[in-house]
Amino acid sequence: MCARLGLCAGILFASILSLGLVRADDRVVFNRDIRPILSDNCYKCHGPDEKERQAGLRLDVQGVATGKLESGSTAVVPGKSAESALVARITSPDPDQRMPPTTTGKHLTARQIDLFRRWIDQGAAWQGHWSFIAPKRPELPAVKDAAWERNPIDRFILARLEAEGLKPMPPADKVTLVRRVTSDLTGLPPMPAEVDAFLADDSPEAYESLVDRLLRSPRYGEQMARYWLDLARYGDTHGLHLDNERYMWKYREWVIGAFNNNKPFDQFTVEQLAGDLLPNATLDQRIATGFVRCNVSTSEGGSIDEEVRVRYVVDRTETMATVFLGLTLGCAVCHDHKFDPVTQKEFYSLYAFYNSAADPAMDGNIAATPPVARVPSADDEAKLKALDEQIAAARQKIVDALAKVEYTEPEPTASVAAAEPKEHVWIDDAAPPSAQLQGNSPWEFVGKPEHPVFCGEKATRRQAQGLSQHFFTGAAPGLKIGEGDKLFAYVYLDPKNPPKEIMLQFNDGAWEHRAYWGEDVIPWGNGGSPSRLPLGALPKAGEWVRLEVEAAKLGLAPGAVLNGWAFTQHDGTVYWDKAGVVTRTPQDGQGFESLVAWEAYEKAQTKSTAPQNVRDAINVEPAKRSDEHKKAIRDYFLERVYATTRPVFDPLHKEIETLTKQRADADAAIPVTLVMGDVPSPRETFVLIRGAYDKPGDKVTAGVPAAFPPLPKDAPLNRLGMAQWLVDPSHPLTARVTVNRFWQQFFGRGIVKTSEDFGAQGQWPTHPELLDWLAREFVESGWNVKRLLKLIVTSAAYRQSSRVTPELFERDPENALVARGPRFRMDAEMVRDAALFTSGLLVEKIGGKSVKPYQPAGIWEAVGFVGSNTRDFKREDGESLYRRSMYTFWKRTAPPPSLMAFDAPSRENCVARRARTNTPLQALVLMNDEQYVEASRHMARRMMLEGGSSPAQRLTYGFRLATARRPEPMELDVLNKVFADQLAHYQGHKEEAAKLLSVGESKIADPLDPAEHAAYTMLANLILNLDEAVTKE
Amino acid sequence: MDPRQEHALLETRRYFFGRCAAGVGTAALASVLDPRLLAGEAPSAAGAKPQGVLPGFHHAPKAKRVIWLFMADAPSQLDLFDYKPNLADHFDKDLPETVRMGQRITTMTSGQKRLPVAPSLFKFQQHGQNGAWLSELLPNLATVVDDIAIVKSVHTEAINHDPAITYIQTGSQIPGRPSMGAWISYGLGSPNKDLPAFVVLHSRIASGSQTQALFSRLWGSGFLPTRHQGVALRSQGDPVLYLSNPPGVDADTRRRMLDGLAALNQQRLQTQGDPEIAARIAQYEMAFRMQTSVPELIDISQEPKEVLDLYGPEVTQPGTFAYNCLLARRLAERGVPFTQVFLRGWDHHGNLPGNIRQLAPVADIASAGLIKDLKQRGMLDDTLVIWGGEFGRTVYSQGTLTKDNYGRDHHPRNFTMWMAGGGIQGGIVYGETDDFSYNIVRDPVHIHDLNATILHCLGVDHEKLTYRFQGRDFRLTDIYGNVVKGLLT
Repeated sequence: MCARLGLCAGILFASILSLGLVRADDRVVFNRDIRPILSDNCYKCHGPDEKERQAGLRLDVQGVATGKLESGSTAVVPGKSAESALVARITSPDPDQRMPPTTTGKHLTARQIDLFRRWIDQGAAWQGHWSFIAPKRPELPAVKDAAWERNPIDRFILARLEAEGLKPMPPADKVTLVRRVTSDLTGLPPMPAEVDAFLADDSPEAYESLVDRLLRSPRYGEQMARYWLDLARYGDTHGLHLDNERYMWKYREWVIGAFNNNKPFDQFTVEQLAGDLLPNATLDQRIATGFVRCNVSTSEGGSIDEEVRVRYVVDRTETMATVFLGLTLGCAVCHDHKFDPVTQKEFYSLYAFYNSAADPAMDGNIAATPPVARVPSADDEAKLKALDEQIAAARQKIVDALAKVEYTEPEPTASVAAAEPKEHVWIDDAAPPSAQLQGNSPWEFVGKPEHPVFCGEKATRRQAQGLSQHFFTGAAPGLKIGEGDKLFAYVYLDPKNPPKEIMLQFNDGAWEHRAYWGEDVIPWGNGGSPSRLPLGALPKAGEWVRLEVEAAKLGLAPGAVLNGWAFTQHDGTVYWDKAGVVTRTPQDGQGFESLVAWEAYEKAQTKSTAPQNVRDAINVEPAKRSDEHKKAIRDYFLERVYATTRPVFDPLHKEIETLTKQRADADAAIPVTLVMGDVPSPRETFVLIRGAYDKPGDKVTAGVPAAFPPLPKDAPLNRLGMAQWLVDPSHPLTARVTVNRFWQQFFGRGIVKTSEDFGAQGQWPTHPELLDWLAREFVESGWNVKRLLKLIVTSAAYRQSSRVTPELFERDPENALVARGPRFRMDAEMVRDAALFTSGLLVEKIGGKSVKPYQPAGIWEAVGFVGSNTRDFKREDGESLYRRSMYTFWKRTAPPPSLMAFDAPSRENCVARRARTNTPLQALVLMNDEQYVEASRHMARRMMLEGGSSPAQRLTYGFRLATARRPEPMELDVLNKVFADQLAHYQGHKEEAAKLLSVGESKIADPLDPAEHAAYTMLANLILNLDEAVTKE
Repeated sequence: MDPRQEHALLETRRYFFGRCAAGVGTAALASVLDPRLLAGEAPSAAGAKPQGVLPGFHHAPKAKRVIWLFMADAPSQLDLFDYKPNLADHFDKDLPETVRMGQRITTMTSGQKRLPVAPSLFKFQQHGQNGAWLSELLPNLATVVDDIAIVKSVHTEAINHDPAITYIQTGSQIPGRPSMGAWISYGLGSPNKDLPAFVVLHSRIASGSQTQALFSRLWGSGFLPTRHQGVALRSQGDPVLYLSNPPGVDADTRRRMLDGLAALNQQRLQTQGDPEIAARIAQYEMAFRMQTSVPELIDISQEPKEVLDLYGPEVTQPGTFAYNCLLARRLAERGVPFTQVFLRGWDHHGNLPGNIRQLAPVADIASAGLIKDLKQRGMLDDTLVIWGGEFGRTVYSQGTLTKDNYGRDHHPRNFTMWMAGGGIQGGIVYGETDDFSYNIVRDPVHIHDLNATILHCLGVDHEKLTYRFQGRDFRLTDIYGNVVKGLLT
């Protein structure tokens, strides 16, 4: 049970203290100093969870904590720590009395006890949890060094530094700065020419105009989307079980476009959560709802639908909470939240917003699990329009031609003849057109005089031991079956080697129509039914016998069309000849010569290929037919039946058929993407007892937790209303959580470090006033993302040098106080993209389907399910190898290994903050991955062709490509020495040089000396492996 | 180097393979040359320090390392371990409702008109001193039955592969939590600096096997730092991804490139002062050492014939289960704390007798061989071996039941695993099921209990190995799990 949930160690608080983040003033602040201790140590039994509450005491509510308890004592007596039972209990010498109980494994430090005492003596002021109180724009704090400030952000940063007795670092040099901001805003390093241009610009606006240029670059949208896709848990596969491909990449394009167009963040939010519910929702707004659909899904056989569906709803609710509320609601799936004021019932009220989703529990293992949106491009639209016009034109030709025909009914004799059933031969000497011949062994055509032949030149022969057959499928045109038709075939059994059984099988889309003669040894179908119909003993051997069977008895109703026929036997030698159907139905290329005869035929058919209006018209007595009836009958007859006019109309029908197929193909090629939709009548929602799908408790309606402001007036009670609630300016969390994540993007650490948790267990913000100021600024600017980012990157705080002294590092290893500029290893995608970019290989193209670049063999196969369409990895060629990494195909059960090595997430669930590790596997990727070796080869080419003539110039150029700066003399010295060494090696080992230069698919046409090129390749490889090359400094 | 920087470098960073920094390299190198040096020096008493984040063992560990032979897709307990002689009388009779008691079953068989009882076709015999019953499919395991504890009462809640295998591996049916190996890497680290703490080995399967997918999350690190995720040793291409130098680059050329790299990174460390640079220098040295230590690990040419024979004839073919079992022993010798060998193909919904006849011998000889090999080296005492999958299979037949053929659907309510060595009593049978192997009648062992017991053997209290994520302290066993005392020595 959940009684043991809160296994909290006091790590959090201790770490804040050791960081020196709590200011050492006298005033004890509840939210900063007391709440974390309570949350970690006390709330499990004395907090929001009613079921777990002990002694009636809750320490999260002032009135209860300061009131009389069941025991008669009072936990907190404001102003009097000595009289407060809380202090008595946490300091009790009796281990049975002392809180927290030893069984919890927790204990309070002397400092924590002291904080409690001081807090009570100072009056024991409670505060609601800080992040649930709407932010107000704070006053800018006063600072001593007013000259340092470039914008208001700096006032908050500097005030804190001054309070801590710290000084900011001097500004970073211009080269470092241009690389830092270019990497941050575009995900790619600056090229030497861009660096030179910035260095040459002495104007005071140089940096600001650089920032403006970067914010306008389409690369900006790609870089920003990358972070968002981690939150959205974007993937190219379903993520569970078969893990088949899913179409979601149009949503990725949408996110890129939204950032590039600087879509206000409130709209960005509403469209993703509820774009489908907006009035007159546009296609774009529906695509945006892919955000909700990105959760992993399954179609595993044996699953119980409701169990799976509930998981999807829970995931969508939790993801919304993490992304927009910065809250972890997972706890409340099973019970009231122990730390945050969200009851289980309130969780299911939020859950109710998602509970009417229209997508099925089983994704069907298809790429386009409904609901989906078709997303045609302008080209697609034009193509469809052109085809529609051509089809309309062809139809018009038919109309015109019909108007010109004059029909005269012939003499009645012909019509009578046409109505008699006739034998239509389908197989004689050859199979019908388009048939694909198959069998246990190939078809054997034999002729006279060695073999019996019934008619024509040839018969087919089959000699079998056991079961054997020859057959065809795919015959076109097919054999049309009408009322009362009989199928026939001629057979000759070898008297010396007769079979046990012979069978005819017919395919009208399925092989479920069989007739047999002789013993019942062929086990297919169900005996006695149309799928295995007995027609008596074997025919007499040694002579040709006509076999005949009524189509209706084999379940072949009028209107059926055969495309396949099988001759099957068990043992023996059997010859087959002429086969077909006895029918009144005109087969392909045949027609009626008389309208009267055709009408008579058509009337006799219980089913027909004629359209219903024509059938209805025919069934009206001729005298009572309207003009409309007459026209329908006449037109259809002339167009489709009358032998004389068919040569006019057949080619037009053929043309329409071809155009229609082209249209269908063009339509099928149009991208689709998963979107959100609700079922027509909303599902009822119940609290699920302990989260179990099959244990519904109280019924709940959609709503928001009581700790937050209510839904805006007039907001609908659906996802749209929920989204509007999130972006209401009065909401305490959405803006804070969002600006905090942007801050984290640039500084490597959020103002609230736990950017996914702003609840009671999350960390206290390092700069609470700055967070509130940024949140208000963001909302009041109209949720303007580019404006906010510009503010951040133009601050003096961001522009500091990232150098660190040992003293500062020891005091603030995470740079929580921002006493220096940010310095951290770049994300997986940036590392790879930078190598492709500096080598000149990067293919820049925004959006599109995901691509499959280099990947070691066997990654997918090692885990893949045999039936999965992502089991076999097939590397693509050309451009696909060099696209930005955000377009790499993300198979969620086996994500791209070279990106995983650099902490890219699997995208199975929402990630607000990636890990940032430093491992030997990263070294191996950069040293040896085909992608990076190939990039080294091309970077070497650039060094040789663009860098200058001397090794020193070329090495300097290569170094600049990767780091933007020129190497120091000592560094150039190292590069020169290693180069000389490598050159000597490859000059002596030309075959080794040739091998190295053949790594990767691309060819280099320029005439380069192989030994030299190989040596520069190794140097490029060295440069790409530099710590600095993979680090934003 | 600035002594303060050096201090920061040694004290503030914890690296991929436990604690390591520039200067520790030589000690680590020794472990390549003589793996036993490190395997033997791991602490053996409570109070000795683990190499991971745990400041100390919670109690004296009995096992220094774990080898889990994971039988993915769920082998049939009814045809291997859980002998039910009375079932013969129930052939083709309906499973009594008094046994099923309305329990949910998968939608693969819930639509069947009948649930006909299918007794095992295989003969069972008693073996060893305690007379444990084993099927004729496991003749080799029969010879080590006194060394293993057969647990017949393992159970889970999940009834489908994906959630079930995710559950037993990570403690949750929903993706996102760290796997057991990642927890062990995080908590205990590894005494070997040149090999990962958590190694995964995939066994080749016969084409046409009835098998399910695996997922990288099964050895993933979830929300733990990614350095704790399992590293798959591969039988095709590089044994560790990207291990080999590209064509045209030999070890010497690489070494000299790396010397230049180290010199430049060192200079940058001087000017920038960020200890992360020192960490990266160390990682490159480790990567270079791995280029030697991993090929040495997988080179089995020096293994004597009598050792190879223990694992069966396929042992010399890379990627076979036998080969992987031998590698697991070699990893254990080198101190690697957690190795998981996956053998897939037990998903015998149909034609079970024919399929299990193919697969069981593959599993039998190498598993028994591993026990014998560890024992003869004196390593079984401190190596915990586990054998089993994600759930069991039903007593009733899925699809048509005939005299000589049947299939079995998923059965989470009880299944059999065995454990050996590392603090587990040998020669016992733990837990009991009813006459239909449908319900547990004695000593249930939930998969959380199993995982708690495994951690216990390693000297870890499963309630105290936690990681705070999203405001909550998570652990492998979620909020459940009791150590199964009856299994311990």
